Amino acid sequence: MRTTTIRSVFTLLFSTLVLTACSSQNVKDDTVGSGGDKPTVTSDTLKTDGNSKIVTSEQDGSEFNYLPGTNNDPNNTQDISLAGLSDPNNLLSQRVIYFDYDKAAIRPEYMVLINTHSKLLSKYPNLKMRLEGHADERGSREYNVALSDARSQSVKNIMVAQGPDSNQMRTIGFGEEIPIVSGHNSSSWQKNRRVEIKYDDY
Amino acid sequence: MINKFIPKTIHRVIVKALSIFLLFAVSLPSMAELELRISKTSDDGIPIYLANIAGGANGIIEADLKRSGRFTVIDRSKINNLPAYGAPLNAGAYSNIADYIVRGKTLNGGLEVELTSTSDNAKTIYNISSNSNNRRVAHQAADKIYEKVTRERGAFDTRLAYVTVTNKTSNNRMFRLYVSDSDGHRPKAILSSRLPVMSPAWSPDAQKLAYVSFEENTSAIYVQNIFTGKKRKISARDGINGAPAWSPDGNRLAMSLSISGSPDIYVANVNNGELTRVTTSSAIDTEPSWSGTNSIVFTSNRGGSPQLYRTSASGGSAQRLTFDGKYNSAADIANNKLAYVTGNRGAFHIALRSVNNSGSDRLSNGQLDESPTLSPNGAMVAYTTLKNGDNTLAVVSDNAKARQFLTSPVGDVREPAWSPYLNQ
Repeated sequence: MRTTTIRSVFTLLFSTLVLTACSSQNVKDDTVGSGGDKPTVTSDTLKTDGNSKIVTSEQDGSEFNYLPGTNNDPNNTQDISLAGLSDPNNLLSQRVIYFDYDKAAIRPEYMVLINTHSKLLSKYPNLKMRLEGHADERGSREYNVALSDARSQSVKNIMVAQGPDSNQMRTIGFGEEIPIVSGHNSSSWQKNRRVEIKYDDY
Repeated sequence: MINKFIPKTIHRVIVKALSIFLLFAVSLPSMAELELRISKTSDDGIPIYLANIAGGANGIIEADLKRSGRFTVIDRSKINNLPAYGAPLNAGAYSNIADYIVRGKTLNGGLEVELTSTSDNAKTIYNISSNSNNRRVAHQAADKIYEKVTRERGAFDTRLAYVTVTNKTSNNRMFRLYVSDSDGHRPKAILSSRLPVMSPAWSPDAQKLAYVSFEENTSAIYVQNIFTGKKRKISARDGINGAPAWSPDGNRLAMSLSISGSPDIYVANVNNGELTRVTTSSAIDTEPSWSGTNSIVFTSNRGGSPQLYRTSASGGSAQRLTFDGKYNSAADIANNKLAYVTGNRGAFHIALRSVNNSGSDRLSNGQLDESPTLSPNGAMVAYTTLKNGDNTLAVVSDNAKARQFLTSPVGDVREPAWSPYLNQ
């Protein structure tokens, strides 16, 4: 479990570096109040409101894909088994889903990951998991509890639609109380906006 | 690599020494006092001169008056040879230096304090009886002076509750719920937990705190007596149990629950547990704050972004209160003033307005300020702000002229809750 965490943090850092290196086109409006609609704009697009701070937030975009290598493949036919949970090459070893600012909607690239875990739950009806939602530090604390709870609910709703019994998943929202990293910048905030999948006995 | 060359015994000693060091490092915060730092005081407030009082009460009174943003404390060197307390004082001689002169002495463990106006030489003498917490005697004297001069009740003799967190990104993280005097002195931890503790809220009699604790690995609302430590679980329903807020009569707790799917505002009777649903939206409704006995202001993102709304405590339609900015949340109300978090262009500040009028003043200028809480007279706001990478507490006057920071030597300090007036 611990090594998994370390490994995924390492994967994060690595992807961050890669994306930082090649993301000059992905300039995003990092205005906090902009709620949901934060379309990716290219760096030569002028902001119409004239006063938004434009920040290169390569770590803040949906292009930021934490899934390893070719595992994020819809035709993925790898082994759906309990052993897969501890196999670093198996998608089942990936148990963190990241979110956009002030959003509980699942980014499309996480559908395969969620579906893979759903298949495992369907295959083992006695298997149970906890979906632990988290938010970044921006905004008020109780609102963030609600937001992080909604994120865990979003994951659960998709899983239930894919087959497993709803009793196999419990959800909780921890708000901004348990950050993964303590920085006060967009790359830290992205890492903290997450749902962690925690299997009861694995 | 290096390990190879260190003999096992020495290695063992190092490990042991290190673990002892760590043990102390971890237990430090429980005894650490918050340190008060004054960053800004009003230089156009009511000029007041405080003579020395044996025992140092004048220092506590001075810090209190400065914190209100309504006084400018005159430097002691400006008046030489002020007659000692008890000797006649021709206050008019100092009218070009201060509007008021304070002298006093300790008396039977308490204080006798004299406030003299330099404009008409009028004297008022206050006798403050002793208290097991002798700093409270000085705060009470400051309250008397404040009230006489401003004609508004003083709120220095009050308390703060707040949450500290050490090792916040490691598995050793520790949450503690503290109660201290309103100036951060005499802190006492009333709860520690490895899992989040948040949202402390004072009962109107200032005897109990409601708070959210995840100690049983799910969220639950507890009420704990701060003196006896006796605690009671009020709500541990499925999903969110969050944001408790006491009704003014102390018989009900407003809270955010998600039993019907999305988080909504509910009111629970503290005595019989009876639950009333207040809001029914499919959006996030949370952070209730009572505005009078039958009205609740809360945060909702029903309009697409978090904003403040007001509704009746018995339910019904809600009226939107905030329109400026795309993030307005976490209302706290006292004396008809409403403090809240306002977010715009990437930064979050504390703002203050009247409950009924929409014009607002910005009180803070940090990047990520949050958790505003008003003193019971509405004259000061404590909030959380980032300083050197950690959360710390700040207190700002409602006119933004005075600001003090309450910092901890270790870890995060956050979520202040300002107590009501103390009755004992």
